[in-house]
Amino acid sequence: MKRIKIFPVFICIMFLLCGCDLKGGKNYQGTMEIPENGIVDVSIFKQIKDDSAVVTFKGNSNGCDYEWVIFGDDIPEPKTLNLAVEINEKQEERSSGLSFRSEDGFGFAPVLSVHLNSNWDCQNATVYDSGNKAVCGASVTGSENSIINFSVDNSVGEFIVRADNESENAPIIAETPTETKASPVSTETKNTKTDPYLTPVEPDTPNAVTGGGNRVISDGSATEQDKYKTDPVPEGRPMPVEPEDTQIDSSKTYTCTFSIECSTILNNLAELNPEKIDVLPADGIILPACEVQFYEGESVYDVLQRICKENNIHMEASWTPIYNSAYVEGINNLYEFDCGSLSGWMYRVNGWYPNYGCSRYQLTDGETVEWRYTCDLGNDVGGGYAVSGT
Amino acid sequence: MMYRDTFSSFHPTVNFLFFGLVFAFSMFIMHPVMLVISLTAALMYAVYLDGKRTLMFCLKFLLPMTLAAAIINPAFSHEGMTILRYLPSGNPLTLESIIYGISAAVMLGAVTLWFRCYTAVMTSDKFVYLFGKFIPSLSLVLSMTLRFVPKFMSQLEAVRDTQFCIGRDVSNGSIFRRIKNAVTIVSIMITWSLENAVETAESMKSRGYGLKGRTAFSIYRFDSRDKTALTWLIFCGVFLICGILAKGLKWRYFPSIKGTLTEPFTICFFIVYFFLCMTPIIIDRREDKIWRSLRSKI
Repeated sequence: MKRIKIFPVFICIMFLLCGCDLKGGKNYQGTMEIPENGIVDVSIFKQIKDDSAVVTFKGNSNGCDYEWVIFGDDIPEPKTLNLAVEINEKQEERSSGLSFRSEDGFGFAPVLSVHLNSNWDCQNATVYDSGNKAVCGASVTGSENSIINFSVDNSVGEFIVRADNESENAPIIAETPTETKASPVSTETKNTKTDPYLTPVEPDTPNAVTGGGNRVISDGSATEQDKYKTDPVPEGRPMPVEPEDTQIDSSKTYTCTFSIECSTILNNLAELNPEKIDVLPADGIILPACEVQFYEGESVYDVLQRICKENNIHMEASWTPIYNSAYVEGINNLYEFDCGSLSGWMYRVNGWYPNYGCSRYQLTDGETVEWRYTCDLGNDVGGGYAVSGT
Repeated sequence: MMYRDTFSSFHPTVNFLFFGLVFAFSMFIMHPVMLVISLTAALMYAVYLDGKRTLMFCLKFLLPMTLAAAIINPAFSHEGMTILRYLPSGNPLTLESIIYGISAAVMLGAVTLWFRCYTAVMTSDKFVYLFGKFIPSLSLVLSMTLRFVPKFMSQLEAVRDTQFCIGRDVSNGSIFRRIKNAVTIVSIMITWSLENAVETAESMKSRGYGLKGRTAFSIYRFDSRDKTALTWLIFCGVFLICGILAKGLKWRYFPSIKGTLTEPFTICFFIVYFFLCMTPIIIDRREDKIWRSLRSKI
């Protein structure tokens, strides 16, 4: 037993000698205030870089809060930076002037989040430089007042952010017919035509087929839920198409614009599951907007699944029979509930968040699909109505 | 009194504290090295206690169960950064979920083996001795329940043998006859177990179990070797809990596998945990050696 008594003493000595020095990947280290003159010393950036830390620098200008989200891993060379930004918000024009006080570029492009005092009522904005040339896009989030998230490569001088006019926001009613002979999709239309909620398609119109199939548009007259618990589809929006009624015709290919982004997480870093900071892209963009090809009859889910496979992006979905659709649980390992209990993935087509599952939205040619991560049940990405049903 | 091994002859507090610590650490620490240490020690101790029967149990029951757990996990969990291939459902098969499945399976195996050792070492009299004073009815119920399965199995064997002798076993006669016989055996077993429970409870009651002022007879003595062992166990427990609180045993599986492994700090915990799990085996081996050397002198 003597030996056993010596052993703990030995371990205790080792314990004291080694101390407790553990480093484990990226970690969120909270918020730091930007000083009055905006200058943040090189030693702070060096510390952030050495710790692979993620730090939010918070400042205020003319009543607007702004935040820099800085990933230590992105800093190429720590140096003293001036993080101050002057913000001049013009609420009527839905634009905001930004002037950076730093004299040379940062050498990396952290995300700047500007908390505005008004709601721009849009989802996208564009950043223009002093020569009125578009520099980059910005995503607009925020539940009540808008938050603009963007990253500019060379943050020197004056910039202007303007809300994008979302022309495609208008309901799609007019559909241009193209020549297509009796495709499997047109027979499917006949089945759905018996549905009392649907606008009758004029039988004389020879196969009113648009880009990706025979789309039926809601006239907004329905008042009850359909059999998959979908609330009435607002007027001018496409009705859901059941995936089991659809046949994919791989001979006809169309294109759509597809993007996946999660910039709302950058505004809610304190709530993010700390294990997930490693998979969070520093600019919040998982897949930048790109043109992708799809086949006739494919749903948003089919395209998402293929795009993720092609780009080697992780995606998990589960089939939910009650809604007759796949439910996207996580993309790029960012799952539902990872950033607060109201978080998850939502999709938006042509400026509208459909109130039904992504397997039931049949795409047509030229549509814009955006997958966005919400931290507030859709309210922060302008899609609260799809969840609450009002 | 005959004990299974030297460790069983220690004071019940020592036995119980040892198993308590080992169960808690095996179940709550998902660090792969800690799991492997736990599994190895549990297997060694179970083999020491039960020999060939443990090996048979491992091959017949534990191995298929752990393999199934390791295979089932990646079929349902798709999280992880390393995508190996895609499953027919369209969801990815990830390396992380496979490794997590294996770790969970190892944990399951280790805890099952520790429970085997527990039932051999912590007999019901030890359990009642420890808790009879504080929670008399609960400790009686617990010891009866824990004892129930092995007792039921042996009684079932006896009843089946008896029925077989009079030609009423499940292997005799037509299908209907067999079903009828099986139902009879089940009925006998249920009646027996109910009667047995009532009898035990009544006999304990008639002896005044749990009454105020009643002392429990015990043959357990807390001597100096128990003191040393208890000190050692408390030290290990405190040391490892400190390690968990200091995040020295941090390990995560999702979204990517990451954790402490080669820091000297963490290696200290591995060493302490290894010796904690090996405590009964070390004690038994030492005792065996002394016994052999004493015998050889005669």
